[in-house]
Amino acid sequence: MNKTIRFFLIALLAVGFLTPDAIAQDVLIRNATVLTVTNGTLEDTDVLITDGIIAEIGTDLRAPRGISEFDASGKFVMPGIIDAHAHIALSSVNESTSPVTAEVSMEDVTNPYSLGIYRASAGGVTVSHIMHGSANIIGGQNETIKHRWGATNPDDIRLEGAPRTIKFALGENPTRVHGRRASGGSGAIVPATRMGVEQVLHSAFENGKRYMEAWNAYNAEAATNPRAIPPVWNERLEVMADILRGEILVHCHSYRADEIVMLTRVLGDYGVDRITFQHANEAFKVAPELAEFGAHASVFADWWSYKFEVYYSTSYNAAILMRNGVLTSINSDSAELNRHLYHEAAKSQRYGDLTDDEALSMITINPAIQLGIQDRVGSIEIGKDGDIAVFDSHPLSIYTIPVLTFVDGVKIFDRENDMDDMRVDINPTAEVGEYEGQITGHDHMHSNEEVADAMSFFESVAKIDFDGHDQHNH
Amino acid sequence: MSSSSASLTTGQPKPDLLYVDTWRTSRHRTHLDALKGLDAGGMLGTPSRAHLSPTLMPSFRGIRLGAAMLAALIWLSSVPDKAFGQKNSPDIPVVSNVVAIENARIVQAPGRVIESGTVVFRDGVITAVGRRVDVPYDAHVIAGDSLTVYAGFIDALSHVGIPAPRNQGQPESVPDRSNPPFDRAGITPEASARPALNPEHDDLEKLRLAGFTTVMVAPRGRMLPGQATMALSSGTNGSDMILQGMQPMFFQFRGAQGVYPGTPMAIMSKFRQLFREADRRMKLEAMYAEDPNGLTRPPFDAVHEAFFPVISRERHVLVWTDEVLEIHRAMSLQEDLGFSMILAGLSGGFDTVDKVSSSGLPIALTLDLPDKPRFAAKIKQDSLQHILDSYNEETRTATYRDVEAEKDNLEARQLWSRNRYVGTAALYEEAGVPFAFTTMGVEPGDVHENLREMIAAGLSSDAALAALTTNAAALLNASGRMGSVETGKMANLVVTEGDVFDQDSSVKMIFVAGQLHEPSREGSGNRSGRESDETIPNR
Repeated sequence: MNKTIRFFLIALLAVGFLTPDAIAQDVLIRNATVLTVTNGTLEDTDVLITDGIIAEIGTDLRAPRGISEFDASGKFVMPGIIDAHAHIALSSVNESTSPVTAEVSMEDVTNPYSLGIYRASAGGVTVSHIMHGSANIIGGQNETIKHRWGATNPDDIRLEGAPRTIKFALGENPTRVHGRRASGGSGAIVPATRMGVEQVLHSAFENGKRYMEAWNAYNAEAATNPRAIPPVWNERLEVMADILRGEILVHCHSYRADEIVMLTRVLGDYGVDRITFQHANEAFKVAPELAEFGAHASVFADWWSYKFEVYYSTSYNAAILMRNGVLTSINSDSAELNRHLYHEAAKSQRYGDLTDDEALSMITINPAIQLGIQDRVGSIEIGKDGDIAVFDSHPLSIYTIPVLTFVDGVKIFDRENDMDDMRVDINPTAEVGEYEGQITGHDHMHSNEEVADAMSFFESVAKIDFDGHDQHNH
Repeated sequence: MSSSSASLTTGQPKPDLLYVDTWRTSRHRTHLDALKGLDAGGMLGTPSRAHLSPTLMPSFRGIRLGAAMLAALIWLSSVPDKAFGQKNSPDIPVVSNVVAIENARIVQAPGRVIESGTVVFRDGVITAVGRRVDVPYDAHVIAGDSLTVYAGFIDALSHVGIPAPRNQGQPESVPDRSNPPFDRAGITPEASARPALNPEHDDLEKLRLAGFTTVMVAPRGRMLPGQATMALSSGTNGSDMILQGMQPMFFQFRGAQGVYPGTPMAIMSKFRQLFREADRRMKLEAMYAEDPNGLTRPPFDAVHEAFFPVISRERHVLVWTDEVLEIHRAMSLQEDLGFSMILAGLSGGFDTVDKVSSSGLPIALTLDLPDKPRFAAKIKQDSLQHILDSYNEETRTATYRDVEAEKDNLEARQLWSRNRYVGTAALYEEAGVPFAFTTMGVEPGDVHENLREMIAAGLSSDAALAALTTNAAALLNASGRMGSVETGKMANLVVTEGDVFDQDSSVKMIFVAGQLHEPSREGSGNRSGRESDETIPNR
């Protein structure tokens, strides 16, 4: 046999373990301290996962024949962590050419090869909500992915059946990108101010509403009149109409209390009631109002002061929101921070005196509810997905270390077998030793060409900071 | 003949201008008229450069001519291009446009070989192929001993023949970058590659020397630059290159500069938008044409109109996919909208074999391969294999303890990764997926070396040849005219010494619709003083 072919075969066998389909989705975890999040803490408990689903939780469970067992004595088992705000696993993040780009979707640019998936799973994260950036007031639709590392087809990492969500953004980012753009030959457009942001939201919803009405009228007429004329097709307004129909959950990048309240009023005008405010550093100021509206919040534990609108912040934000009845999660918005979301939850707990379950719920069941996937993930319950994170000590301890991560019962991360090179996609031409950057929340460009294109527009703007915070970028 | 060509292609001095070939066994004695006839019949060189070509007819057994002949040749050289380029030129009568290649190894199609036979073609069309073929009395005969005749190669997608525009600097500014004019957004599907074709484009000559006689030429641009066209790899002018046939809409994931659509996700949305609105307009147009009573005139623009034949599946969309995620994107659009698609490129397609295979889509794989990593560029193949074999997937090195060991291992993995690109064509062959090849983005001079690498990685020679000939012809819906050496097909031929995929082989002659091109004189065609073998691909 040709030497090269032989090498291929050996190599394919060697990486075979990475292919999710190729391995069993059955595992029995024994004798763990199980943090179910929704049903308290169970000592010396076994968790059995079959066909990727949690089948049994109890003591001295019978092991099905041939199942792989893991002795978790002295270890802590919690539901896989859910990151409600990420920009990993994407080929592009911002279509920053227009203030409203509801029609674009992260579904179309999902990148299963992104090493960020593996790195996040090494921090116990099993689900990420990968989002459009914050350059536009109505950015693109987001995608909820499972960390099935090793998959190469983008469809294989989607969380099947997850509700559609869309990214909105208020404040400094969209006003800077659109309203203060001076170079590149294209002048500034609305919005330059927070007032303009509101106006863009109103007109986008109004156009969507008219579009929906036009199609409703057409559909009614077409039932009797074969010569009825359908309205001009509009991908953007199709999505706006779906938001109005309640088919898409809104996740809005926001900081200031006034703009947060503004958006609840705009949404109220159009009957849209499912909203999660992302970042929301000043949400604590309007916590009762948010609770009344039924809005959710997804915040940082203590990350702020990276631009003017993020100075008025407090590490009590999460706790104040929780205590006021606002369903709250802690997110990363970062390909680094997502590896220690359990620390972030612990910080919020320490500052705001939250219980263990409250703190853990902010990185498990609460983000699951915000993404509409709470029936599948977010807690350890029979019938839920076998997404499990195992820690060597309590995950809210500063000394804890994640040791194992399962997605659908498949072992994705194993600290004992964490090889030097876990990449699936290897650039054959890059210089070894050269740092290969990946897209994070702060590096929202698709390619060098795209960066060059965008830079030509933004050259007069001192700082490009699409999602607002730059400290992890340097 | 073969000896003369061999010496030409190994960089020996050019034949003395005073020697003029008789094609050794030509039934015509060489004299001025015959030479004129030969040329007017399209035998000599690139037509546009024909004023140089006759003087370089290979000759080592040719008869020495006197000073009068030389003078005649100089006269010939001074005749303007077109006089030679046009067939049946009124100024220079055609004596004969029949060629016979005798006693050659003829690879009619992959796996169909005549070990010693004759090909005859007249007026650019093959009239006979076989072991025993009557050679017409008026044929120019080429002794094919030691030569192999293949069908001319077909490139399923390239920009060749369309010179790249000069750097235009900053793009034009627009009042509203969210809604730019179509052309500023790179959306001109109504345009065509045809008016931009230029037979003088350097890469065209290089591609011809690599054995390509037919190319699907796509216009340059961004998202939807226009319709591609089938073209011959030579012609007296752009129009002369054009072949009737499929003109697919060319589409790529290349965003506009600074305006919508800039990213691949917006390109996806924009394509859906254009398609679905065009679908609406097409129906309105049909209603209006039938009976305009009670209707307003449907909106019209050339961009949406260009989608009509795509929607009715009368026109393919030819999609360039530069990386594996673009394969998924293209297939996702095709699934959503249901148009006829040809996938080209598929770099990284080693991960999509099953998906592409079950889709049944026609594909053209890239002939490009990633460059070898720098550390490997000067290492011999055996040593590279040694590095590959040393790869240890299990390594867990504390970097600060042994940086070199980790680096070595990462380098071995890079070689492994590159091999996956090299082995992609073999994987598709193994899966039973027929494919053509595209030279998009490939240096034409690298084509044969890349093919040899793919064959070394498991691709069969027959599959490689099929990709270059029969499969490509089928993909472009041109099997009736080209792709094999058969009676009734166009005389698009590559004549080599040795097997075309052997390292030691060389391309001796290329016939494009019966017109002869030879490496030796192509190289000197418009670059006097250059070594002739510089442009020969198999070196």
